[in-house]
Parts: sequence; C-alpha cells; structure tokens
Amino acid sequence: MNTKRLAVLAAAGRNLILTIWAIFALFPILWMVLCTFKLDREMYSTTFFFHPTLDNYVNVLVRTNYFKAFFDNIIVSGGAVILSVLVGVPAAYGFARYNFKSKEFWAGQILGFKFAPEILVVLPLFMIYQKLHLIDTYLGLIWVYQLITMPFLIWVVRGYFEDISLEVEQAAQLDGYSWYQVFLKILLPLVKPGLVAAALLTFIFAWNSFMFPLILSGFSVQTVTVSSLKYLASDTVHYGQMAVAATITVLPEVIMALAIQKHLVRGLSFGAVKG
Amino acid sequence: MNQRHGLTKFVVLIVLLAMVFSLSVYGATKPAFNWKMAKGSTIKLMLVQHSIAEAMVKKIPEFEKLTGIKVEYSITPEENYFDKVTTSLNSRMGDMDIFMSGAYQLWDYAPAGFVEDLGPYLKNPKMTAADYDIADIYSGAIGAMKWDLVPGHKAGTGSQLGLPMAFEIYSLAYNKRVFKEKGIKPPKTMDELLAVCEKLKEWGGKGTYPLAIRGARNWGTIHPAYMSTYENYGAKDFKIENGKLVSLVNSPESVAMNEMWVKLIKVGGSPSWSSYTWYQAGADLGAGKAAMLWDADNNGIQQNWPGASKEAGNIAWVPQPLPSGASKNNSNLWTWGIAMNKASKNKVAAWLAMEYFTSKSYLLYASTVGNAVDPVRASVWDSAAFKKKIGQHEGYSDTFKATINNTRILFTPQPHFQETTTEWAANLQDLVAGKYKTVQEGLDDLKKKTDEAVKDVVIK
Repeated sequence: MNTKRLAVLAAAGRNLILTIWAIFALFPILWMVLCTFKLDREMYSTTFFFHPTLDNYVNVLVRTNYFKAFFDNIIVSGGAVILSVLVGVPAAYGFARYNFKSKEFWAGQILGFKFAPEILVVLPLFMIYQKLHLIDTYLGLIWVYQLITMPFLIWVVRGYFEDISLEVEQAAQLDGYSWYQVFLKILLPLVKPGLVAAALLTFIFAWNSFMFPLILSGFSVQTVTVSSLKYLASDTVHYGQMAVAATITVLPEVIMALAIQKHLVRGLSFGAVKG
Repeated sequence: MNQRHGLTKFVVLIVLLAMVFSLSVYGATKPAFNWKMAKGSTIKLMLVQHSIAEAMVKKIPEFEKLTGIKVEYSITPEENYFDKVTTSLNSRMGDMDIFMSGAYQLWDYAPAGFVEDLGPYLKNPKMTAADYDIADIYSGAIGAMKWDLVPGHKAGTGSQLGLPMAFEIYSLAYNKRVFKEKGIKPPKTMDELLAVCEKLKEWGGKGTYPLAIRGARNWGTIHPAYMSTYENYGAKDFKIENGKLVSLVNSPESVAMNEMWVKLIKVGGSPSWSSYTWYQAGADLGAGKAAMLWDADNNGIQQNWPGASKEAGNIAWVPQPLPSGASKNNSNLWTWGIAMNKASKNKVAAWLAMEYFTSKSYLLYASTVGNAVDPVRASVWDSAAFKKKIGQHEGYSDTFKATINNTRILFTPQPHFQETTTEWAANLQDLVAGKYKTVQEGLDDLKKKTDEAVKDVVIK
C-alpha cells in the first residue's frame, strides 16, 4: 500500500514538475498572445487583469499591408526551400555516393556559406543584384536564401544517403529499375524523414531571415520579419500591434512543426544517434 | 497757367496708370512655379518608421498628382535603418534618391561624398518656389544639417546637407498628479532637482522612482539631457589645437557636471538605468513608474495623447533645470530630415519631393492631422490648428518657446562621432558603477580614449 502510494505520489510529482516546466517554457508565447489583446495604456501592467480589445488585430490586419508581407514571406521562403530540395538532394546524393577530387573541400565550402556573416557579404551582393536587376524581387530573395537553406539541407540529407547501403540500390537495379527509378522510388522514401526534417528547419531559417530581405528588398517585396518591426517607430512603440504581428508570424512555423512532428522527431533523432 | 498745371496732372496720371498697368501685367504673367518640370520620373524614398514618415506616405498620392512624379518608398525601423541606407549609399549606384537622416549620420555620409549639397537648389528661383520661405524654419534645425565638412568646425555653416522635417529639444516632463499630491514644485535648478529626487524615492511604492533618464551604452545616452546640461555647465567636447582635435571631457566644468549627473542617477534614476533608451525612459513616465522624465520633449508627449498610457493627461513640461547661477537654457537637438543621394539619377524630381515634404503646407498637415512633433517651422507653431492640438499638453508650448532660441547642435562635428559618444556613454556607466576613485580620474581616462579615437583627424 505504501509502495503504491509512493508510486502515485512520484507520478504526481513528475507531472507537476512537467506542468511547471511547460508553463515556464510556453510563458513567453502566452504573454505575447495576451499582449495582443491589451490596450497601449495597460501594456506595462504585470497582472493578468486588463480590458481586452481587438483593436490591435484591426490595426495590423486591416489598416496595414501586413498580409502582403506575410504572403511575400511564404513565396520567398517556400520558393527557397523548393529550390534547395530540387538542387540540394541530388547534390547530397553526389557527395554521399561518388568520390571525386577535393570532395570534402567542396562539401566544407558549401557548409561555410552557412556561417558567413550576412552583413559582411551583403554589400557586394547588393551591387551584383543591382546590376542583375534582382533587387527587390522574389527571385532575388529566393536565390540569396540558398546561402541559408542549401548547406544545411545538403549536409543533413547527405548523412541519410550515406546510411543507406549500396546493396539496396544494386538490388533494385537487378530487379530492372533504372537509376532514376531507384533514386525516386527507393532512395527518396528512405531519406524522407531526414528530408522532411531538414526542409522544415530550412523553411524556418528562411522564414526568420532578416538581414537579406532588409537590405536586398523593401520597396516592392517586404518580408514579415522586416515588416513586423514597423510597429516599433522612432518616436512611439505599439507593443500590442507588434505582438499581433509576431503571433501571426510564428503561426506557419508552429502549424508546420505540429503537422509533421512525427517526421521531425524521427528525422532529428536519426541524425542524433548516427555515427 | 491752369492749363499747364492741368496738362502736368494729366501726364502724371497717365504715367502712374502706365506703371500700375505694367506692374499688374508683370504680376499676372509672372510664371507660377513649375511643379511638373520632372513629370514622368520615378524616385525612391528610404524612410524610417516615424510619425513624420507616416504623414509623408499619406501625402504621396497628392505629390504624385501635383508633379507627375511616381514615388516608391520603403519604411524601416530606426534600429536597422542606417544599415540599409549605408549599404545603398556605399554602392554609389543611385538606387535610392532621397533618404531620411539625422545630422550626426550626415557627418559620416557627407565627407564620403554620398550627399548632395542642397544650397544651389535653394538659391535657384526656378527650382525653389517663391513661397518656400526657408527663414520660417528654426535656425537651430536648419543649421543642424549645414556643415562645411571640416572636422572641428561647428554645424551651421557650409553645405546644406539636408532639410529638417521634425526635431526635438530637451526639457523636463513631470507627472503633475504626483507633484500635486506630494506638494512639490517642478525644479528649476540642478540642486532643486536633486532635492526633489530625494523626496520622490519610491513615491508610489516599490518599483517607482523619481527620474527617468537614458543610460544605455550608446550615443543616445549622451546627446539629449546629458549634452544639454554639459553645455549649461560651460563644458565643451573638443577644441582644435595644432590642426588636431583635442578632447575637453576632463575640464573642470565637465567634472562638476558629471559629479552632479552621477549623484542624480544614484539618487533618482531607475535601478535599470544602464539599459535605458528612449523607449524605456518614456514608457516609465507613462506607466506611472517614474515621476519625471528628462529627455526629448516629444518623448513624453507620446505618452500623453489620450489613451496612450496609464498617466496620459497627467504629464506637464518645464524647461530643463540649470546649474546655479546659469540663466541661459542651452539645448542640444535631434532632427529627422531628408537628404539627397549624390548618386541619384533623378535629382530634379528628388529635389521637388524634398521641397514639397518640407513645405509649410505639408509640415502643417504632418503636425495637425498627423502626430509629428516638434514641427521645424515657426508658422506651424503659430497656426491656430497646431496651437489647439498642442494646447492639451500643459507647459509644452511654453517650454518650447523658452528653449528654442538657445537650441542648436552642441557637439563638434567629426567623423568618429558614434565611436566617441559610445565610449562616453560607457565611461558614464563606469562612473555611476564606481569603477573610478573619482570622477576626475574617470574623465581623464575618457579623454585619453577620445584623443586616441580622433587622432587621425587632420584639420586643414
């Protein structure tokens, strides 16, 4: 009886700790959502009691061009991920399967793009883009986002290709599959968890990108990361409106992460235990 | 005799009539200003998120209709704005035609050849409408964007690097409800301010404090109340000696001022003073945490519009407290203006936009229909519409009028402004934190660092 009571108490204690942790972890998001319903005059109140209003939502969603920036962000982030998958998956396969001169050097070079500070490369990029008329265009941003998305995707997916035994490909070819059929029908389903996880993470990287869209666009195309800050003016701040913009901005990332949670956990844990 | 007299009168009458006629014909045929001279052009404006820019955006369709010029614009928050502007200017490709700027940033951009001198446009009657009236702009504001590009030479002469649209002066905003409840009068001197700070410690319970003031480790801490008081103590930032800039931050006047400033922060400042920027300082006054705010006059006003904050309607203004014996209330200023990219390929169209967005009618609109304060034109301050709007803020207009004649850029223009003022703010934090045994020791250290930072500046 005592043992059973102890087990129940232990379980209750665990749940209590986990609940406290969940509240702690989710509190910033909860506070941000609460701020969306607060008036400016109540913004600095630290209690949970306030006069709820939808004014902030009306101001952001109806009186500004927030949705234009939101869809601009979907176009450039989605476009960047699609381009990275189309180009990066074959590249990852190439790095995994073929031996060529300076292979690791080139793989390292690609990874190096990910770590280049954006502010250092943005001025030459700005000048090149000016000459190519890519400033302030969707294509221009999708292209430059490859610096953010492509290296990560190649390196993650390369690991998955390396984990697949060569014999699997050879067996499929013996059964009459062409190389393209092997790639599309055998290999891609096998790397799907890693590809989905990498694609989601690269989408988040692209979605959150700030410096490139700040400098390389702004007149015709403006992403939501830059646009959200407009509520922080030099002379005034509208924290409620900023909270609305930020809350809606994180929604696609949260929804996508929840929708493909299974692949994400599997994909990331595979990567974690890989030797 | 009578006939001759009559003839003379007739001739004089004819001559007078002819003169009147010719004058009226001249007046009637005098060409109106040609706003269509750059019709068909497209210009790009780079704007910072600010109430004056919001008003600009609303007026763009009217400008396009008047001139036939198409306007494209981008608006960026101040925090990242200058990264974008600097990149665009550095490319020298003329991607943007007009950009918003403060005076200090122009001290970087103009010597590098990025900024068009607007003087010739202003002097050309074909380019500037007769009713533009540049004399209507306060001399401190227009002079802030004028400089001869020689480091060490004061702002106010030389090339016109930009045109101001809105500016700010420095004053003491206070919560009149709290002052009334406590039976305290607004301080006029630094000693009185210190005494008021002592009385208002935790005036409304835990978390409340007397005086909101900036303290973050950047130039924004030095240029408002601090620099104004520095000047009011008789201290200067630099002098020119043997063709070099020499820092004066450790002068006796500076030491006296800094000793008082450190006391004020220790007695009256927020416990988080060292992280305070415009936003935190203003917000604390509006939220009822701070009883006073010594900062830009238009910082407090953003908290005082109806519904803007908890203490909206309770905020009033008085001129800055002065050191004992001082009578002249010197104030530094910050101005948001517009400048032209020297690499612009549409300079005539760009100038017309600059003229339009600094005109009397636009600035009146921005300050009455919009919320842009302080307007840089005296005619706007004198207008009934602006008086009515600003009248709801007790003491605001009177404080402005008491300060404006002694308002000007108090810093010495030099290319390392950002670096030296950031070091200055860091030193102030160290003084407050007690890193140095004495204020003199701290300022001696700052002088060494400042002299080192400007040692490459050669004044010809």
